[in-house]
Amino acid sequence: MSHKILVVEDDASTADFVATGLAEHGFVVDRANNGRDGLFHATDGSYDCIILDRMLPGMDGMAVLGALRAAGIDTPVIILSALGSAEDRVKGLEGGSDDYLTKPFAFAELLARIRLLIRRAGNGAGAAPETRLSCADLEMDLLSRKVKRAGQVVDLQPREFRLLEFMLRHADQVVTRTMLLEGVWDYHFDPGTNVIDVHVSRLRKKIDEGHARPLLHTVRGSGYRLGQDG
Amino acid sequence: MALARSTIFRFAALVFLLQLAGAGVLLGTVRLLTHHQITAEAEARTDELRRALIDDYRRGGMRALSDGVRQSLLPARAQGSVLLLVDGGKQVLAGNLAEWPPSLIAADAPATLELFRTGRDESERIYASAVPLSDGARLLVGHVVESELRFTLILEEAMIGGVAVAVALAAFAAWSAARLIHRRLASTVDTARAVAAGDLARRVPVDHSEDVFDALGVTINQMLDRIDALMTELKIATDGLAHDLRSPLTRLRSTLERALEACESDDARASVARAIDEGDRLLAMLDTALRISRAEAGLGREQFVAIDLAGMVEDLVEVYGPLAEDNGFEIVADIAGPVPARVHRELLGQALANLIDNAMKYGAGRIVVSARSEGRDVIVAVTDQGPGIAEAQRAEALRRFGRLDAARSKAGAGLGLALAAAVAHLHGGRLELGDNAPGLRVVLRFHADERGGAA
Repeated sequence: MSHKILVVEDDASTADFVATGLAEHGFVVDRANNGRDGLFHATDGSYDCIILDRMLPGMDGMAVLGALRAAGIDTPVIILSALGSAEDRVKGLEGGSDDYLTKPFAFAELLARIRLLIRRAGNGAGAAPETRLSCADLEMDLLSRKVKRAGQVVDLQPREFRLLEFMLRHADQVVTRTMLLEGVWDYHFDPGTNVIDVHVSRLRKKIDEGHARPLLHTVRGSGYRLGQDG
Repeated sequence: MALARSTIFRFAALVFLLQLAGAGVLLGTVRLLTHHQITAEAEARTDELRRALIDDYRRGGMRALSDGVRQSLLPARAQGSVLLLVDGGKQVLAGNLAEWPPSLIAADAPATLELFRTGRDESERIYASAVPLSDGARLLVGHVVESELRFTLILEEAMIGGVAVAVALAAFAAWSAARLIHRRLASTVDTARAVAAGDLARRVPVDHSEDVFDALGVTINQMLDRIDALMTELKIATDGLAHDLRSPLTRLRSTLERALEACESDDARASVARAIDEGDRLLAMLDTALRISRAEAGLGREQFVAIDLAGMVEDLVEVYGPLAEDNGFEIVADIAGPVPARVHRELLGQALANLIDNAMKYGAGRIVVSARSEGRDVIVAVTDQGPGIAEAQRAEALRRFGRLDAARSKAGAGLGLALAAAVAHLHGGRLELGDNAPGLRVVLRFHADERGGAA
């Protein structure tokens, strides 16, 4: 069953780009170009995720979000905003959004965040937490903190372990440098030149070296992907 | 001593001393006037009596005078009169004193003496004057002032008691006045501190009493309203600028991303990917420029959180470790223990990241990132062993978009140090460039708790 997404965005070009991209990845997409229409659509509760621009004509995105939450609709919401400071993000998240993405964004990042939110909502409370993660012949045991590739133990530093765990949780998806900074380091700033690239490259050496099929790929212009085919 | 330097203490002390002086002057004046009044009355009475007796003497000589003295001392007329008539040999001829007081010399000014009246077993204070007569005879005319002087003494004791109470009241009044002033000014100081720490919504409480404190509060509040309005305008302007520039950049990026997907050749893909990277760099520059403006204006203090800077430094060193190693550097954290501080985590992290990034671009050898507490301050430093920055060029290095010759060949916009300086300012501190002998030493120094004092 394909997931339904509502895109509330007044900039036609951005909305087109997001809607087309999501449709190509198998989502059913509805669109609204202002806050009131967005709220009208959102209140029927049939969406798996809502992408909401913060600055909208007529009714501001934060007001739409407030009205939704007040009406008891807990559909996951990703705020899209040109305002990206820590203060803006905190306001967005405190206002009831599940995630906050600053413009301009890489489509791959938006996609990864949507999938994560839908998966979280699907798991719900009471689901047993995962203890093992895997991709092809790469396995991670979260309890024993051991990683194996083709049955051989891979020795990782604590940070490399967390980096790989993040990649495995987003297996077969593009993860951007921003996502890694936020997800692995909890940094909401840019540490600059190639810092993340070097960490990924060291991890790649440890998990791919000596194996015929690489698993950790660089996606030009976007970030990285952990998966079987290049 | 700090207390002695306190204006409010000095004011209280002045009020107290003035009240004390006032009470002293009042006591002295009452005492003087009472004494003067008693003396004047006694003088009037003795004058009258002396005049009558001298008349008797002029009319009938010593005999008439003796009779006059006796008549005057009859119980019905005496009323505290003291008289003594002696001849040239100091023999008492008439009067109610046993002998002539040796201390009273005729023709002297009147005096108050302690004497025994005939038939009395207690001495009394007597206002007396002597009149010389012919043949060495002398007449003492006086009046008992004992009860009046005793009354004066009681009055003085009562007044000293009153003054003691007045002194206590003066001290209390001074203390109350000082406390009142302190309280009225303390609310203004508290408000100013809160605003300096980023709480722009705080205002001085006013009671509409229209006194000078109320006027001060109203004026400061008007000033704060103006600052608040300017800050809001700046925030709207920077938000608007960010939004207006990000929307076309979003469109540009989405177009390039779609183009990247459609590219057939590797060369074309590489070119489009480079264009996306350039767009991201442009956006990063814009973000940094806006962050500098906002930090310099003090926007973002409400985002301060308490963290351990030692942990932050160690974390950054760990993040940069592999990159430093790949580039032939060594990066180490120099930490002696926890360094607690209230900071804007994101901006300070970005500032330190910029400094480490700069050290890797322009420095050499060993990069040391340190954090330590020094009294109320915290000091975070990044040092390297590269060529450093000549003293004459340091101001240019801190300028927005300022780029030194050595940096022209490297990627960057010349905003790294400017942002670090703005972040130091936001934290109520400053950024210092120094000589690491060899290399550059960049120091961020600010208050551990920015509420304690802001720039």
